[in-house]
Amino acid sequence: MIDLRFDKVSKRYRIRHEDGTVSRNPLVRAWNRLRTRSEDFWALRDVSFEVKRGEALGIIGHNGAGKSTILKLLSNITTPTSGEITINGRLAALIEVGSGFHPELTGRENIFLSGSILGMKRREIEAKLDQIIEFAGVREFIDTPVKRYSSGMYVRLGFAIAAHLDADVLLLDEVLAVGDASFQAKCLQRVRELRESGKTIVFISHDLAAVERLCDRVLLMERGRLVAEGEPREVIAEYQRRAADLVALTGQKGAQKSGAEIVSVSFHNEKGDLVASLQTGDALIVKVKYRVYCKPVESSIEVFFYTPEGELTSQLFTDRSVFAEQSEGYVEFHCPELGLAPGMYFIDVTFDKDWKFRCATFRVDPGKSFRGRFYLPHTWRFVEKVEEAVTGKIFAES
Amino acid sequence: MLELAEDKRRIKVIRAPSLSWRGLWQSVRALVEYRDLFYTLSAHRVKVRYKQSMLGFAWAIVQPFTLMLIYTLIFSIVTRMPSEGMPYAVFAYAALLPWTSFSNALTSGTNSLVSHSHLVTKVYFPREILPATYVVASLFDLTVGASVLAVMMIYYGIVPTLLILWVVPIVAVLTVFMLGVTLVLSALQVYFRDIGMAMPLLMQLWLFASPVVYPLSAVPARLYPFYVLNPMAGIVENFRRVVLQGAAPDLYALIVAALVSFALLPVAYVFFKRLEATLADVV
Repeated sequence: MIDLRFDKVSKRYRIRHEDGTVSRNPLVRAWNRLRTRSEDFWALRDVSFEVKRGEALGIIGHNGAGKSTILKLLSNITTPTSGEITINGRLAALIEVGSGFHPELTGRENIFLSGSILGMKRREIEAKLDQIIEFAGVREFIDTPVKRYSSGMYVRLGFAIAAHLDADVLLLDEVLAVGDASFQAKCLQRVRELRESGKTIVFISHDLAAVERLCDRVLLMERGRLVAEGEPREVIAEYQRRAADLVALTGQKGAQKSGAEIVSVSFHNEKGDLVASLQTGDALIVKVKYRVYCKPVESSIEVFFYTPEGELTSQLFTDRSVFAEQSEGYVEFHCPELGLAPGMYFIDVTFDKDWKFRCATFRVDPGKSFRGRFYLPHTWRFVEKVEEAVTGKIFAES
Repeated sequence: MLELAEDKRRIKVIRAPSLSWRGLWQSVRALVEYRDLFYTLSAHRVKVRYKQSMLGFAWAIVQPFTLMLIYTLIFSIVTRMPSEGMPYAVFAYAALLPWTSFSNALTSGTNSLVSHSHLVTKVYFPREILPATYVVASLFDLTVGASVLAVMMIYYGIVPTLLILWVVPIVAVLTVFMLGVTLVLSALQVYFRDIGMAMPLLMQLWLFASPVVYPLSAVPARLYPFYVLNPMAGIVENFRRVVLQGAAPDLYALIVAALVSFALLPVAYVFFKRLEATLADVV
């Protein structure tokens, strides 16, 4: 059973080029507007895919690859230039929550307004009102105008409405990135529930870790075309490979022959095999190849791990050392137990004045299970007899 | 059993915009599907307009009432304008009532798509709902304003006859005409903001081209056939005639107004739907 079909869909936008000279005379301006050529830009080119009932499809790609255009076409905000989209059943988009809100109206009034904009019937909203208010956690303020809401409450109410839409096909944008951590977890839980109840889901995101966790199949878009399709793990790896190619190319351009430079960075497992991902708790070896040109250099070599949101998670670094001129070599970082939480990491490497910005990606898969921000490497054993006096905080008489 | 559940699912096909009867039928069906949104948004329109304003619903009266005072001052005190034997104040007000309703619907409705661009670019719903809610809101204003007309009629001792029931078809024609014009203008406004800029001027010209401050009888007979091509002529004149004068409506003018309005609406709707397809890319 196919719930969603894209059949050779293309979308063209016209981009008007203005030459920058703006005349004061409105007539001249109008004439220039008519004269300027507009150029065609194909946001999507011949894209075909299908989504089966109950399947969760992820769509990934760089900015401008056509992800949001697919979203806009699916939700019928705009129409394709050619091709055909077939949607079987009711589709609901959880995008830009709270966009239908009116600040002067109360939370309750806004639930009705926003719900009906999203295509719900009045009766349906009435039936789900309690659930929505409960989910958003705004019961005390439900009869207060939403302009008095905190931004968190605003977003929560928006998501709560969207999450209770009774749809067959669900479109998810970066909606999971709203609210605080506990609300995010709640959102993710809700999406899982919807999935388990057999809804078809299309998830468009930059959060590769979330895509991998949520989706059965992933499409990779590049410049308006569909370039890869398949198992989440494989397609994400392909995306990372392409992203790395892109950086390597730009990296070469910036290499300076005078001082020192980083030649390569690679990730290995315990046995020394090249890997693109490891599990939390695994041993990790990072090899950085460097080269020094005409002058000796005193520096350290550092490897940074950034989240997709750009937050620095951790770092590896050598002591400051002197590198002889005309030398070349490897530095090998050895982490006995990887403490990073599962997810995607973007890598920066620095050496002297060379800075390879986001030059590689590294994925951490769930391994050792833990709660919190990172895995603290540890071992444990039971001790039968306590001979030494117990110190520290004592909770019970021994 | 499963097959049965399948049947309830509606298959929707999205393609490049084209003009077809089937497409038009689909749009009408989608509109019916979204009727709850239409009610909610219309109610919202009325509610929001008067929230946080001290006078609240009184604003629906203030506008025609002030205009009435101004015109009364000019046309019955400064110069004398024929008013068919009526006190000029009530004569003007009875015409200003449908007129301000029309003028407000057009002015706010024209801007409706642009002012809701945050919605238009994010969520799909039949876009004609937006301009249409302004038409509903203006009809609401008409009803509120009518209470003042009733008070004025009592004050001047004007007793309506049964012919006042003609108000129903007249307001129906007004509604259809407002919908048609608002649909066209709101879609054009997205592509050419000049429309919005020209609105105040257009409304001014249109006011004087309609029998609001003067009676239809003041129009030279040889101009009459052209004059009534403006549906507002038949609507405004007849509204005043059946409410105040207790006279039979000028059927010719009313029929012309009805024909123009009912012919305009489907054309306007098709035009609107055609522009709607790429609206979100432009707005």
